[in-house]
Amino acid sequence: MSRLELITPEGLRVDGRRPKETRRIYSRTDLLAADGSSYIEMGNTKLITTVYGPKESKNNNSNSIINVEFHLASFASGSTAKKLRNDKKLMENSIAIRDIFESVLIKSFGRSEIDVFIQVLQSDGGVLAAAINGTCLALIDAGIPITDYVTACTAGYCNEQAILDLNYIEESSEVPCLTVALTPKNEKILLMNMEHRLHLDNFDSVLSLAKTGCQTIYESLDECIRK
Amino acid sequence: MISKVEKDYISKGIAAGIRNDGRGPNESRQLELETGIINQASGSCRVSVRGGTEVLVGIKVSVGDIQELDTRDEEEEAMKNRADVGRIVCSVECSPSAKIVLDKRQIEEMCILYTQILNRTLNGPQGGLDLYKLCIIPGSVCWILNIDVLILNYGGSVFDAIFMAVRGAIHNTRLAKVKVESTDGAFDFEVEDDETEVLEGRENVPVAVTAFQIDKNHVIDAMPLEEQCSDSSVSVMVNKHGKLCGVQKGLKGSLETSLLINMIQHCQNKGQEVISAMDSFLAQEERRIIDLVEPVGFR
Repeated sequence: MSRLELITPEGLRVDGRRPKETRRIYSRTDLLAADGSSYIEMGNTKLITTVYGPKESKNNNSNSIINVEFHLASFASGSTAKKLRNDKKLMENSIAIRDIFESVLIKSFGRSEIDVFIQVLQSDGGVLAAAINGTCLALIDAGIPITDYVTACTAGYCNEQAILDLNYIEESSEVPCLTVALTPKNEKILLMNMEHRLHLDNFDSVLSLAKTGCQTIYESLDECIRK
Repeated sequence: MISKVEKDYISKGIAAGIRNDGRGPNESRQLELETGIINQASGSCRVSVRGGTEVLVGIKVSVGDIQELDTRDEEEEAMKNRADVGRIVCSVECSPSAKIVLDKRQIEEMCILYTQILNRTLNGPQGGLDLYKLCIIPGSVCWILNIDVLILNYGGSVFDAIFMAVRGAIHNTRLAKVKVESTDGAFDFEVEDDETEVLEGRENVPVAVTAFQIDKNHVIDAMPLEEQCSDSSVSVMVNKHGKLCGVQKGLKGSLETSLLINMIQHCQNKGQEVISAMDSFLAQEERRIIDLVEPVGFR
């Protein structure tokens, strides 16, 4: 798909959103019989996160560790791509999530192990961002002390303007896609990755849009937790 | 592992006709069923049993080659007939959250076992589905139903829930209509996107009922603790006409024939009940889908 079709002359995107609009977010906690669990929908991306722990660590590590397992259901993606599962991309995602949440865990929480299982039921772009948001909710649901929420959002750049929260069609066309995860209170960025090329002059606008996206998501997650 | 005292407590309770959660030996737990919750799949179904078990099934259909036949097989005659049927490929996966009850190896074995039983049951005449209808061009192209089962939560009697969810998902599956054209002997086909049809024979798909033997008694729809008390289990696949579609003995113990027959009989009767309960659920779901009411899903 050419990049011209992603935003119509009227300024609408393929799924009818405005450029600076996120998809509909729905989240809930306490879904399964686990220490903590959450379910999150970001548009058509849907995933379940379960958290077990903290429990005593098996290896002699004075810090607390988080084990993350990332699973993609075989019916999750548009095509019947069996090879997508268990591949390196999923590993990369779980490493990213581990690093993010180990940094927000309260430090005095030593010698313990927390297991996080992420199960993607449907993927329609922004899976990593959704997984980070889901993990954050599940950790809070499990009562694990973290210093702040971590929220994540994607942003891209096409037709000379920044767009927020890309879906699969936008993600897979020739569009730079930036994933950002941050702690919403002090806006410290915990994760950032971008695929594709983008001029430095435009980078700032994309990044700030992603940041506002993270804040929007934070409000929605916070509402879900306080309910 | 379960302690001796607990085991004794549970089995004596069952001998007296009372179970831990207040059910009778022949009573199953309340269940919820919902179809069509994954819009990227051709058919999907979620079954959740009160008390924990949660199973999600997604079906994706694809067009594929009819398998190259293996002629070294002794049943060559039977295989010849297979050139004009579609096929069903099942896979069972367990979400790691079940690791808390079972260890990794047990989970793997369980998944392999269930995958095989599903494949065997659904690909034969006992599976109910009309496999001939899945054939597009005899000898070359057919539909393949990829049935993927995901166990989200382990709360006992997973196998029964899997079969129920598979049956629900098959009921929910819509196949695109195919137009076959023949131009001077060569066949060609075209998939029509806007017209769909249901799977032929979907109401004849069996369900499974598993009985767990505990001492001289047996229970249906066991909880994980009861499963651990049990030495052997019998899973019976039964269709809506009450015909047996498969029997599978599980676990490590041995069974007397008389008890076994008794258990099978019991499961068969229970299966009928399950199917009629399920069919009313499915009819409800069908109405909901026609009314365009959004599924609840995991909300």
